Amino acid sequence: MNELMALFLSMALINNFILSKFLGLCPFFGVSKKLKSAVSMGMAVLLVMVAASVVSWLLYSYLLEPFGVAYMATVIFILVIASLVQIMELAIRRTNIQLYNALGIYLPLITTNCAVLGVTFINVREGFTLVETLVSAVGAGVGFTLVLAMMSGIRERLEIADVPVSFKGMPVAFLVAMLLGISFLAFGGMV
Amino acid sequence: MDGQIVIITFLTIVGLGCGVAIYLANKFLPEENEMLKKTEEIAQFLPGMNCGACGKPGCFAYAGEVAKTTTTFSTHPCQTFLNDEEAVKSMGDMLGMELSGGEKKIAIVHCAGDSDVLYEYEGVDTCKAARQLSGGYKQCSFACLGFGDCMDVCPVDAIHKDEQKRIVTIDPEACIGCGLCAKECPQVVIEIVPADMPQYLACNYTPRRDIPGREKCDLGCIHCRKCFKVSENGEVIWDKETFMPKFDHELLLPAPAAIEACPKDVILKRSSSKKWK
Repeated sequence: MNELMALFLSMALINNFILSKFLGLCPFFGVSKKLKSAVSMGMAVLLVMVAASVVSWLLYSYLLEPFGVAYMATVIFILVIASLVQIMELAIRRTNIQLYNALGIYLPLITTNCAVLGVTFINVREGFTLVETLVSAVGAGVGFTLVLAMMSGIRERLEIADVPVSFKGMPVAFLVAMLLGISFLAFGGMV
Repeated sequence: MDGQIVIITFLTIVGLGCGVAIYLANKFLPEENEMLKKTEEIAQFLPGMNCGACGKPGCFAYAGEVAKTTTTFSTHPCQTFLNDEEAVKSMGDMLGMELSGGEKKIAIVHCAGDSDVLYEYEGVDTCKAARQLSGGYKQCSFACLGFGDCMDVCPVDAIHKDEQKRIVTIDPEACIGCGLCAKECPQVVIEIVPADMPQYLACNYTPRRDIPGREKCDLGCIHCRKCFKVSENGEVIWDKETFMPKFDHELLLPAPAAIEACPKDVILKRSSSKKWK
């Protein structure tokens, strides 16, 4: 149990997907203008990450490895994640329209998100069991949501702050990202 | 060779599996929400290029608003949709209401691009940046600067650069009249007019005195009022604020005499207009 907790913390904070692994940077800057949309995006990523990790783990352990074609993991994972997102979108749309509206256009956008692909590869590379895979995917998703929410909160404040004209918008967002990254460095060595 | 066959079979199997899975999901999941169904039905008549000119984030969002209340058509008109008579008719049939198509509109550039160059501009490649330096690199500070800020927002690529004159031209066939270019243009040189406008003034130069730029452009309005004087039936309206001729957007009267009379040939005939017949 302790190990799983450590794994969760490691994926969420220490090896944070955005700030230490530099994955999923496009939504980090693209969808972090408003807190509300940042949280919806984070939730959508969390959902897809968990589903994609489980499915890709099953595929890898029961199909790719036994047949000795592990080198095809990349292309197969992309294919599977893309169709999985499609199916999930269909399912959410037909069963829970409120959730569908909350996630909005972010769900289909995640089809090609590198953070989702990244978590599946890390799970496979580290040789996790199914439970560990699940925990690491949830951890990665929570970390992603956390950083996205933090960033959007800061950027909402920055909108009304007195920033020098040449730094307005993206430049100051990059500076904030740097400071966030440095502060997340402090989690190193916690586990 | 063996390896290739394995790869091909594997990918085929997984791809087929994904396809079948999506098909099954589509078939066995419960029916869609009523509202969403209606939204989708509405969305198929919309242009579907997500230009955003109506003020909604994309055509599907627009359809969602329409599904809620049909007054959206008048509060947030989608010009591209209203231009398409067939789509308007089918949409009216589907919603069981009378929908009038409204007028077809297009964008025109009020500049013939003959102004001399004041200095060579070598900066950021946009009109917005270029106009910061004494109103643009052209003698006439009202001219089209031709960097094509409008081209970037045009959803149908109807705008092209005229490299020689350094202005942009709009293809009237391709233009859908969405109005995004007119909003984008920092020089306010693009105007949205009815598609049947019989003629327009290809000049944007408004001040009547202060003419240092004027003599450097052979194709500019000199505010002589000749066009106004020769038009007896009110084809040309003289705008006393800007000192320029204007044409009524509702009557759309052809003014052949005014086109003939203009000493600078700056009133251009639009032969594609139906009003000339």
